[in-house]
Amino acid sequence: MTNYLEVKNLSKSFDSFQLHNITFTLPKGYIMGLIGPNGSGKTTTIKLILNMLKRNGGEIKIMGLDNIADEQKAKAELGVVFDTNYFSDDWKVSEVEKSISVFYPNWNSERFSEMLRKFHIAPTKKVKELSKGMQMKLMLACAFSYDAKLLILDEPTSGLDPVSRDELLQILSEYIEDGEHSVLFSTHITGDLERAADYITYISYGELFFTGSKDEFVDMFRIVKGGIDELSADLQAKAVGVRTFPTGFEALVKTEEIGSFTALDIEPATIDEIVVFTSKKGEDYE
Amino acid sequence: MSNILKATRLDFSLVKPYVKVIGFTMLLPIAFAAINRSILTGVSFAMCFIAMTTGYTFSVTEKNSMERLYGILPVKKSEMVMGRYLFVIVLGVIALVVSLITQPIVLQALGETVEPFGIISAAIGGLFLFALYTVFQIPGYYKFGSIKGRVFMYIPVAGFLVTLFLLPKLPADNPLINAIASSPVLLLTLAIALVVVMYAVSIWFSVQIMKNKEM
Repeated sequence: MTNYLEVKNLSKSFDSFQLHNITFTLPKGYIMGLIGPNGSGKTTTIKLILNMLKRNGGEIKIMGLDNIADEQKAKAELGVVFDTNYFSDDWKVSEVEKSISVFYPNWNSERFSEMLRKFHIAPTKKVKELSKGMQMKLMLACAFSYDAKLLILDEPTSGLDPVSRDELLQILSEYIEDGEHSVLFSTHITGDLERAADYITYISYGELFFTGSKDEFVDMFRIVKGGIDELSADLQAKAVGVRTFPTGFEALVKTEEIGSFTALDIEPATIDEIVVFTSKKGEDYE
Repeated sequence: MSNILKATRLDFSLVKPYVKVIGFTMLLPIAFAAINRSILTGVSFAMCFIAMTTGYTFSVTEKNSMERLYGILPVKKSEMVMGRYLFVIVLGVIALVVSLITQPIVLQALGETVEPFGIISAAIGGLFLFALYTVFQIPGYYKFGSIKGRVFMYIPVAGFLVTLFLLPKLPADNPLINAIASSPVLLLTLAIALVVVMYAVSIWFSVQIMKNKEM
């Protein structure tokens, strides 16, 4: 299987934060969700991939190209969408194309116009007149116009209404349909990933917690529920995290440990629940 | 088109909304030349003004968080930096040419005689001053950004005032100055050589700043 993105032992140190040995691969034709709580290192990882930050260690390959030694070639294959627009507010949409298209030899103006029509973006509008959702679509339209093979999105759904989020997920699903494109999608709105992602990379406090298929990730844990008197010491010891209520409790338990608790109510865990429980580092909370 | 030219074109598109303002600023040096009846001070003033607009590209970039756009474009940081220098130099040359055309016309209309040597001296002086201002400004903006680095915008004003202060103090009988002044070719060669060296050093510093900068 061809990998469009390979990150090996990536490390970066700041004064108050360290990213340690992050390793993951994104195969061609799939969507990977990069998840973790705020400040866990998602944006740092993306900026390191884009060589916007200097890494302290590790290796990054984009479509087999080193992200530093072959930076230009690698970036020609990348489309990037950040949580906020990166064009000049005073540009008209048509000026965005004029300014950006020259940097991409395979820019297709017809494709750009087609994307604008599809996304209902008027070429005469100024960037600042577009809503946040429309600005995001404009960034996507640019990436699609030079047929970016790998799309990297940093928190694209934060601040979007549910309709726009749904549209974005639909666009991403269509984008990878031909099996020739991949998406790395950082978010803390994990509900988006339940629908769109094939793979998950979960970073918690700068450490890699998990990387692999979404199904494997979700299957790693179960939610155990019961009355407060059923919360045994054994369960508390084995649980990754426990949430107690006046009437009962919920605990996240590794699937392999679930055999001892079959008498209790056991449900599949959602990505959101896994992130919430694991990011509490096993501490009980109410 | 080379990546440097593409970067220059991108910078032009950043300041496009300000072209009218920049054009308007070019009227003030004409008035200044008319009041002082001197093309040398008029052109120096024009180049000081236009050097102050160098910060526009940095301001627009910072205001719109466009460093992220620069971070994703398939262009080397050094090419982006050189593109910006080229843009600034082109802007300066346009301002110089406009000044050298308009100011003699205005001065002649006021009854002043403008000698070819005066025009050449003003051209060389203007070019040199513009280079002197911008070679300090641009690395300053790269290092500190347009807001923190606003102090660099005033380098041209300070430079212009120092020039005005020093010009009358130059000894009229200095043999070196006389030798240079008597040979426009020597003057031009020296000025161009100095400008090239200054820009080369300034570009090197800016590229190093950008290479070490994390976005």
